[in-house]
Amino acid sequence: MDLFTIAFFIIAIVLTIISLIKDKKKTLTAMKKSKGMMGNMLGEIIAIIFIIGLVLTFIPPATIKTVLGSANIFVATIVSALVGSITLIPAFVAFPLVGSLVDVGASIVPAVAFLTTLTMVGMVTFPLEKKEFGTKFAITRNVLSFGFAIVIALTMGVVL
Amino acid sequence: MRIGLIKKMNSIIRKNRLIVLVTLVYSALFILSPDKAIKSIENSVYYLLEMLQVLPVIFLFTVVIEALIPKEMIMRGFGEKSGLKGNLLALLLGSISAGPIYAAFPISKALLGKGASISNIVIILSSWAVIKVPMLANEAKFLSIHFMIVRWMLTVLAIFVMANITGMLVKKKDLPAEEAIVKSLEIREGYCIGCGICVKMHPDYYEMKDNKALVIKAPESKEALKMIHASIEKCPSKAIIFNNENEDYPQ
Repeated sequence: MDLFTIAFFIIAIVLTIISLIKDKKKTLTAMKKSKGMMGNMLGEIIAIIFIIGLVLTFIPPATIKTVLGSANIFVATIVSALVGSITLIPAFVAFPLVGSLVDVGASIVPAVAFLTTLTMVGMVTFPLEKKEFGTKFAITRNVLSFGFAIVIALTMGVVL
Repeated sequence: MRIGLIKKMNSIIRKNRLIVLVTLVYSALFILSPDKAIKSIENSVYYLLEMLQVLPVIFLFTVVIEALIPKEMIMRGFGEKSGLKGNLLALLLGSISAGPIYAAFPISKALLGKGASISNIVIILSSWAVIKVPMLANEAKFLSIHFMIVRWMLTVLAIFVMANITGMLVKKKDLPAEEAIVKSLEIREGYCIGCGICVKMHPDYYEMKDNKALVIKAPESKEALKMIHASIEKCPSKAIIFNNENEDYPQ
């Protein structure tokens, strides 16, 4: 567990204790409510995690590397953004991967598109987002994120 | 009896469609290509551990938001009228967060329920996903500080624009109302005389427990709400109350 998560654990526990002291009944009711809400999500989250495992098996980092480094920048950018939307690889894998490509002279535009959609657009988490916030919200947020990921990538290609 | 059972099974499957689907895919994969199936499960383990670390914290935070933080405070901080300050606060909250984007869903729902605006929720979700201090350090290390700073600035800008567009396009009524309605349909325990009229009228929504009626399910649509209204009027002791939470959002 990293330092960040530990810090959050401590803060969360302290706040919960304060809440319990201040108003025990209200806190227990809130716990019941949160338990219901998270319980509803838990099944989907576990399903999502196993989908991620599948995607990682069929689109391994090596494949992603080929896509990112392909010659046609325009096609590479769109495909990279799509791949980033589908997969969810840990940041500590993504950055070295992209870094090694940029070091050997690949364009940064597809790389940035990939890095941004990787985290901001979630095809895999979409069903859960749709269920919790409604179809309109989920579509709007993911489509906008995809569009802006490409805008950010192109802008960085110009700036850097 | 058997029809009831099948119905129940159907509803369980419908509720857990994703799990059923994933189980089917994995079963097929185990038959067709066992090594790929095992690899997939191995890949999933990292994320399962991550989830186990993060979800308890998220649970406690939603409890704290619900129980400790007054509604007025959330509205002032993240509500429709919070303006740029609200946006910055949302950005800060999202950036100091821990865990993957789905961990942001329960927190965002709790904040929405207490009056946070849609654009601020978009900011929280997006910055939760993209901006993380340990991740920024990683990016600076493997790409460059310059690269990291430029991407960070562009991303923050994009998030703010996206938040405003989403705020304009999506209204509170587009969100699933479930949460607000559960809270708004209540039976005042002290008033309920346990006559069971409401349970007889709408067995899907009410239940008897220890001689008192209980709300077991939220009316999920306007039609269901209308139906429920009949039971509110029929209740001899006026123990069922319905207060629409959405009405007191200042527009």
